[in-house]
Amino acid sequence: MNNFRLIIPFVIAGMAIAACAAPPVAPAPRAQQPAEQATPAPAAVAEKVKIRLATWAGVEEAKELQAVIDKVNAAATTYEIVHEPQPADYYTKIQTNLAGGTAADLLWLSQEFIAGYADKGVLLDISDYLKNDTRPAAQLDDYFPDVLQTAQFNGRTYGLPWIAQPVVLYYNPKMFADAGVEPPNENWTWDDFKAAAEKLTRDTDGDGKPDQWGTVFNGWPPIHMFIWQAGGEVISEDKTKSPIDTPEALAGAQFYKDIIYNPKYAAPQEVIKEQGFSELAKNGKVAMFFGGAADDLDYAHTKDPRFAEMQVALVPKGPKNRATFAWTASTVINAATKNPQAAYDALVDLTEGIHRWKIVAPRKSLANAEVIAASVPQKKASAEVILKALPDARSFRIVPRQSEWDSIFWEKFQDPLFQGKGTAAELAKQARPELEATLSQ
Amino acid sequence: MDFYARTLIDYAVVALGMAIAMFVVFQVLVRLGMKREAATGYALILPWLLGFIIWTAYPILASLYYSFTNYNVFQPPKWVGLDNYIKWLTNDRSFWPSLRLTLLYGLISLPIGLALSLGVAMLLARNVRGVGVWRTLYYLPAVIPAVATILLWRWLLGSEGLVNQILSPVYNLIGMDKPSWFVDERYALPGLIIMSLWGVFGANTVILLAGLKNIPTHLYEAVELDGGGAWAKFRHITLPMVSPTLFYTLVLGMIAAVKTFEPGIFIKLNSLTTGTFLQVLVYGNAFAGGNSRMGYASALGWIMLVIIMVLTLLVFRSSALWVYYEGERK
Repeated sequence: MNNFRLIIPFVIAGMAIAACAAPPVAPAPRAQQPAEQATPAPAAVAEKVKIRLATWAGVEEAKELQAVIDKVNAAATTYEIVHEPQPADYYTKIQTNLAGGTAADLLWLSQEFIAGYADKGVLLDISDYLKNDTRPAAQLDDYFPDVLQTAQFNGRTYGLPWIAQPVVLYYNPKMFADAGVEPPNENWTWDDFKAAAEKLTRDTDGDGKPDQWGTVFNGWPPIHMFIWQAGGEVISEDKTKSPIDTPEALAGAQFYKDIIYNPKYAAPQEVIKEQGFSELAKNGKVAMFFGGAADDLDYAHTKDPRFAEMQVALVPKGPKNRATFAWTASTVINAATKNPQAAYDALVDLTEGIHRWKIVAPRKSLANAEVIAASVPQKKASAEVILKALPDARSFRIVPRQSEWDSIFWEKFQDPLFQGKGTAAELAKQARPELEATLSQ
Repeated sequence: MDFYARTLIDYAVVALGMAIAMFVVFQVLVRLGMKREAATGYALILPWLLGFIIWTAYPILASLYYSFTNYNVFQPPKWVGLDNYIKWLTNDRSFWPSLRLTLLYGLISLPIGLALSLGVAMLLARNVRGVGVWRTLYYLPAVIPAVATILLWRWLLGSEGLVNQILSPVYNLIGMDKPSWFVDERYALPGLIIMSLWGVFGANTVILLAGLKNIPTHLYEAVELDGGGAWAKFRHITLPMVSPTLFYTLVLGMIAAVKTFEPGIFIKLNSLTTGTFLQVLVYGNAFAGGNSRMGYASALGWIMLVIIMVLTLLVFRSSALWVYYEGERK
């Protein structure tokens, strides 16, 4: 007994010293305000509730976003948004935070994650909050329906989209002129695109190998948009089928297969891995690049003269239409937030701010040249083409098991197709039942 | 400040709670008739025991359970029986290329690494001036963090990296293009193996050095009296006497090879063609990308355990043929 009594104080002292000696990891700011009261105190005297916002913003983007947040915070009376950027491994971190109950109140989510998280009960359903809200960013009928549907699940709304970025065709006018090829125009078809890509793939140093290419494909742009352009679908409207083996879908897939890594038209895989993907276009090695409307390819040369000068055109037309993919993301609310009303208010105000910063705002009333030029002045010259692309822009149809669907689509269809391990028809036939198994609940 | 003060209080509460728990355990054990010395011992290992149960034993058992379920970390796990195991073995296109890469990586890098470790250990076992400095220098790479080492090698083995620059005359001589290590599928495995040899001068060398130092000098003297040279000493004394240490490092090295993780995270390998390390597949399914398939990942963890056990069993069985124990009777 004496032995033990002697030891106890040392154990406690040791632990206390260890506690002092090992400072914890720098704290993430926490919402420290107690749960909201039924009758809020007058705004002037009430302390503002801290609303944490998690984003994947890098240094530059975070700085710009902070300016938006500062304006929102200055006008807010009930909340203060605290930005927590997590540029690396964002989705891994927020998943861990959500599962561990330490996630931020507001979160940025790319389109493919929202249905899955909503299905798992992690996101706050904001449909009822939106009903009585008269603020412009809360008017759902002002959003492009195809973009808004990515933030909805089973008829309920779980977030507000803050960007709708259609894919456009960036091209290098100098490379076109050097090769004697007419620049792209609004009547361009797949055949025109392929013919130009072939002429633009050139060996300029005479070593027998091409050193500049017509275009570059690498899983991006999404194969989906070419399937849509041919009249096919990857997920049916009712989200119960994956008809990737229809003649239309196969035509789109075959067009993609004909170009990707094909040294006749496009940069090979090794070159992409060595020199980067969009870097090939920026560095004047690729003449045509499918990029998001907000990409800086058309003004990168104004920041750094080493980059090639590029212009913007519409994507070439497919056999049935000119559908283009619209990348979109939303801000959502963590279902476990202690301050749902304040978080919702912050969401709507912040979304309005972001719509004046990011292009293209996913709202009909803001999709105009003035707003684009005011948001990103360098995009003024491209605004007209971007706006013309918008009516053809489509987002993915998202299903709750989207990640599984994506894995199967890549592993069983796209990758073997690109690697020449089967024809589009064979692979589509094999992959379809597995894809559809993920659609049935 | 607030946060630090709160954390400090948390620590103090845990420390106090632990001390009380230890005291209670001591009292209970004594009342149950245990000797005081033994009861003190059990009370003192209580924090470690609790840590082991909470942070090691429970996750191991939980992962075994999850491996038979569909579990996404947000919703309760759903029992699916052997589905996850069957999917890995029959329906996952990344499994077999990754198993192949992981095993080949271990099979090639381990013997080369051990042979080089033994060579370095023999050099360091010599009684030369300043041997302490040499030993420190050779151990230094082992204390550099794995991530820094991998980034360094990624640069060294880049297509315009130092290795290709130095070997450029050789490539010209044999009419070969500069290889794109880590990019070209054909060179990924050799690149990873070259990188793994960095660890040669680390722990294995130290362990083998200890094994070499334990060899009695009279055995070498006996060889000299019999007219044996350096090769005879190495073949008939050093190798048999150090074989138990080699056996130990081989078993640990093999387990580590199957569990290789960092190179696969920092050097992107196509899991469908080149394959990647199995551990990277576990991480990818359990955590990465925000779509956890914890049950599926757990199943691969247990498949890896079976692989490690089979390999260890084979090495143990083979040990009778090549490991020499001094006190052993045949």
